[in-house]
Amino acid sequence: MNLVDPATPPSRKAPLVWAIGAAIPWLVLALGQVVWFALDRRLLWVHALAGAVTVLGIVVFVFVVPLWRYRVHRWDIDAKAVYTRTGWLVQERRIAPISRVQTVDTERGPLDQLFGLANVTVTTASSAGAVRIVALDSDVADRVVAQLTDIAAIGAEDAT
Amino acid sequence: MTVQAPQVWQRLSPRMLLVHPVHEILRQIPLLIGSVVVGSATGNPMWTLVGLALVVGYGFARWFTTTYRIDVQEVQLRTGVLQRKVISVPRNRIRSVSTDARLLHRLLGLTVLRVSTGQEARGDAAFTLDAVQASQVPGIRAILLADSLAPAEEEMVSEPGRELARWQPSWLRYSPLSFTGLAMILAAVGVVYQTGAGVALENSRLARSGLDAAERFGAVASVAVAAFVVVAASVVLSVLRSLVTYGNLVLFRDRDVLHLEHGLLRVRQHTFDMRRLRGGTLREPLLVRLFGGARLDAVMTGVDGAGEASLLLPPCPRVTAEWVLSGLIARPDVVSGALRGHGAVATRRRWTRALTLPAVLLIAMVALYWWTPVWLWPAWAVLTVCCALLAFDRSRALGHRVDSEWLVARAGSLDRRRDCIAAAGIIGWTVRQTFPQRRAGVATLIAATAAGVKSYRVIDVPAEWAWSIAASTSPWVADNAWVRTV
Repeated sequence: MNLVDPATPPSRKAPLVWAIGAAIPWLVLALGQVVWFALDRRLLWVHALAGAVTVLGIVVFVFVVPLWRYRVHRWDIDAKAVYTRTGWLVQERRIAPISRVQTVDTERGPLDQLFGLANVTVTTASSAGAVRIVALDSDVADRVVAQLTDIAAIGAEDAT
Repeated sequence: MTVQAPQVWQRLSPRMLLVHPVHEILRQIPLLIGSVVVGSATGNPMWTLVGLALVVGYGFARWFTTTYRIDVQEVQLRTGVLQRKVISVPRNRIRSVSTDARLLHRLLGLTVLRVSTGQEARGDAAFTLDAVQASQVPGIRAILLADSLAPAEEEMVSEPGRELARWQPSWLRYSPLSFTGLAMILAAVGVVYQTGAGVALENSRLARSGLDAAERFGAVASVAVAAFVVVAASVVLSVLRSLVTYGNLVLFRDRDVLHLEHGLLRVRQHTFDMRRLRGGTLREPLLVRLFGGARLDAVMTGVDGAGEASLLLPPCPRVTAEWVLSGLIARPDVVSGALRGHGAVATRRRWTRALTLPAVLLIAMVALYWWTPVWLWPAWAVLTVCCALLAFDRSRALGHRVDSEWLVARAGSLDRRRDCIAAAGIIGWTVRQTFPQRRAGVATLIAATAAGVKSYRVIDVPAEWAWSIAASTSPWVADNAWVRTV
């Protein structure tokens, strides 16, 4: 017996938002290095090394990782369970029964608000069992929350 | 529905009027030292007295400002001299009640009573009655646990409490090998040096005569003697600590309640609601396992999974631990039955991991051949043998066992653990694969529960087994749109 992976991808804007989120700290770092270079030009090889590390970091975390995550991240909900696949280097598939769902939270960071995205967190009684569906379009997120709270209200057993 | 008259606010035992000031004095020693200094500097001893009076007065005030109330719906605790605080705990959320009596409390016949709920309350948020009279404890405990134990009360057949385990002096043989003694010695040395006494000691006659003696003996002999003394002291301290903490431990079961009581000087009692039990963890640290011992932790909702809160049995004969756990979960095969191994890939991954460090060291040593001291080679050989033994032991430990009611997972060498988790308590599954795991075709299966340490791992199972294991424990995994039978 096996489970096929969930099929629904996150919002198409997700890689862009992740890339911008990752770019901000890296650009601050790059700016710092430029200022440092302007003030102090001794030890050129240290500047070169730091610059190379920064460029590599930007390539990996701003370009590779968001696209990689977009290829991995999938989610699905059926009448009984929530099922997600997340991660890039370390990948996780997580399933939780809706009958054991305790709360359904939506959360929007500043960038998410700018691009109309939302993250849905489905918590169960176990701190290790929370299922996060990240970077959904806002209307999809609202629909997911409505659907989950509808189903979860039916099962009224003690969720521990 | 008639509303019962609200219970009156009660105070803690009046004997705390003796304990609080003492505790405050101990806690405010820096302040007192300060007031003594100010007093002697100004030549006015009044300052010292004022400081002392303030501290003692604060201690008294704590008793007058602390009240508790056991209501129909909830229990409440009001505390705080300057900053008032009210802690309310709904009575139906109470999961366990534990008590604790330190030496001073015991001398006065007092007991600290701690109420724990499913939520993780830390520090200030914990509901702690410090302290009530020991004679009141059974009454308060019965009232507090009455809600959660109500059904058991009805079918009360006159079945007396059954003793499951009692501490034996022979259990002490597992304690000399723990590191607690060494930790205590290091802590003591740290304190000595921090207070500046270390410097004084170094210059003292005692230290000088010791150094003279060491010179006469020669370096090797004195190091050997020092090591022997430290090891001997650590063994003695470990045994003493084990004796003081666990001496006269008794574990007994009274219908749906499990009582644990231990401690010679500081007596601690835990009461566990059996219906919250979701399994148990048999832990066999290497040094305890060598002597055929094991320790037992409860996996329970509302009880912290790690540390002392969940302890059921300290290191004791493995047979005892297994027998107790079998009795609790009524499934001997789960506790001691054979496990299914995880196959060649998992074994290979254990060996790769353990031998990476020796391999890297070997490359470095060969690369720097002319600079490598000769003694490094035998040291490397010893390290490699240890790593190989570790890998062998770790791969032998890996295993799991599943049926529709229980999940059993075993792993580890230095701290081997066998987690037995009830299927009913599992409320989510994760299949995690790191990059090397994906290439090797294995996965780590993680069962999420509300009990114990919250997540229990089955390490490095072949990826194609992962969901079948989950499904054979939790039928809902096999009942959805994503299932494919291969």
